Amino acid sequence: MPKPKKKSTRSTPAVAAAARRRAPAHSPTAAPAPVRLARVAKGKKPQYFSDPAIDKLLWMTLTLMEELSVTRDRLDTVERLLAAKKVLRRAELEGWQPDAKAAAERVAARGRYVDRMMRAMHVELEEIAGRGMPKSEEEVVAAVES
Amino acid sequence: MPAFKAHAMQPSTLLDEQARQDFVGALRGHLSGRLMPGAYKVYESRVEPAFRARQGRAPIDQDEIRKPMTQDSFYQFWSAMQRRSQELLWESVIDPTERELPELLQRSARLRAKKIGKSGKGRRRGTLRLNPALEIPRYHRAADIHLQPGGYHTDFTTDDVSAGVIYDKGINLYMGGALGPENNLMGDTLLAYLREKHPARQPKRILDIGCAIGNSTVVWARAFPQARVHGIDVGAPVLRYAHARAEALGVAIDFSQQNAEATDFADGSFDLIVSHIVLHETSKSALPRILGECRRLLAPGGLMLHLEIPRGRTVIEKFMHNWESYNNNETFARYMTGIDLQAEAMKGGFPAADVLVDQFIPKLDVAQMNYTEHFFWKILAAHR
Repeated sequence: MPKPKKKSTRSTPAVAAAARRRAPAHSPTAAPAPVRLARVAKGKKPQYFSDPAIDKLLWMTLTLMEELSVTRDRLDTVERLLAAKKVLRRAELEGWQPDAKAAAERVAARGRYVDRMMRAMHVELEEIAGRGMPKSEEEVVAAVES
Repeated sequence: MPAFKAHAMQPSTLLDEQARQDFVGALRGHLSGRLMPGAYKVYESRVEPAFRARQGRAPIDQDEIRKPMTQDSFYQFWSAMQRRSQELLWESVIDPTERELPELLQRSARLRAKKIGKSGKGRRRGTLRLNPALEIPRYHRAADIHLQPGGYHTDFTTDDVSAGVIYDKGINLYMGGALGPENNLMGDTLLAYLREKHPARQPKRILDIGCAIGNSTVVWARAFPQARVHGIDVGAPVLRYAHARAEALGVAIDFSQQNAEATDFADGSFDLIVSHIVLHETSKSALPRILGECRRLLAPGGLMLHLEIPRGRTVIEKFMHNWESYNNNETFARYMTGIDLQAEAMKGGFPAADVLVDQFIPKLDVAQMNYTEHFFWKILAAHR
C-alpha cells in the first residue's frame, strides 16, 4: 500500500488567517447548524441469537449487502451514461489511478462508509452510556397494556 | 404498482439515497414474500412436532411457542433480518429528509400560511391547531412505534415536519407501494365499506382519529367535498406535515393536536368518526376511553368505523402477527390478538346491539393488496 504523503502541520500567520476566513465560527452570518434527526428508535432491541456477536454480524452483513447494492446501481448508472455519451468504453476503466484530490475524497467517503458499518458497535456503547432504555420489550408491552 | 406521488412535501433523492430505498424494497420483498412463509414451514415441520413430543399435546396459544420458535435457527435469522430491514427502511428515508429539511420546512411554512384567495373565491383552506401542553400518552413515549426513530411526536427543530416526511415515505416502502400513490389504500378500504354497507350516508362532519399524516383523512375529504373534515393526532410534527401535505394536494382539512381519549370537541359534533389501523397502537386503558369519547362525539344516528388488522386465527398465525409486538415496537398488538372489540365498545358505552365487528375484503381497483384467506380487514362499526 502506498504511504500517504505527510502533510505539513506547521502553522504560519497566513495559514491561520486562511483558517479563520474558512471558519467564521460565531459570525452572525454563519448558517445555523444543520438539524440532526435520530437514527435509533427508542425501545429495547431484542437479542436474536444465543451469542449477541451473531446479531452484530448479521446487522453488519445486511448493511454491507445494502451498500454493495447501492454501489452496483451507481456504477451501472455511470457506465451506462458514459457509454451512451460515447465517452468511455468499459475497457478503459481498468488501470485508472486517482489523483491527489480524488484520493483524498475517496478517503473521506470511505471513512463515512466505515462509520455507517460500525453503528452496531456504537449502539452498545450508547446503551452503556444509558439512554433511559427499558430493560425488556416485555416491560414495554406490560407498561403499555396496563 | 402505481408510483408514490412526489408531492411538494417529499424530499428529492440523490442517486445513492434512491438506491438504498430500492434495496430496502428488494430486501423486504424477499424477507416477507419468500422467507416469512418458511417460518410457518419450520413451525409445522419441526417446532410443533417437537412440542408435541415433549408435551404430548399441541400448543394451545402463541405464548407456548414463543420460546421454541425464537430458538429455531431459521426463525432467528429471518427475525433478525426482518428487524434490520425495518431499521434500514427508516435510515433510507431519514437520510434524504435530513439533507433537505431546510427546504421542506420552508415549503411547509409557505403551504400552511396560504389563505383563501384575495377575491374570496379561492377554495377553503384547512387549519392546524397545536397544543404544546398536550401530554404525549405513554403508548407513544414508551417505545418508538414501528421503530421510527423519534416516533410521531418528537420535534427535532422548530416547526418540525420531519416525522411526517419520514412516515409518509416510510409506510410507502413498508408496504412495497401497496398503499397506493398517496398511501390511500386504508382510507379507500374504509370508504368502500361505508359505501357498501351504508350507501345512503352522506356525512357532513367527519372526524379521523389518530390521523398522523392525514393520508386517509384526505380520502374522506375528497369523497365528501361538502363535509367539514377534522383530523386529530397527538404528534405535532406529523400534524404540521399533514396540514402542509393536504394543502399541497389541494384538500381542506382541520387538523388539531388532541388525544382521542379526551378531545375538546362538543358532544355530538360528528356524524362519522373513522380511524385506520390506530386502535392497536393504543393501550388497554386508552382503548375503551377512545371508544367512549367517540360515542360522546357522535351525533344521534352518527356512525363510527375503525379499520383494524386481524391478528391471526391459528397459534402460529397469531405468533407471527405478534412478531410486530416484540420486534417492531407495536407494543399493544399482542393484547389486541385476543381482544373482543364489541366488549371494548360496550365499555365505551355502546349497547351491544349497536356494535358490529365485521370482516371486509374490498372489491376495489385500488386494492393492490393480495387479499387471501389469511388477510382481510377487520372493522369495528357502531352507531349512536
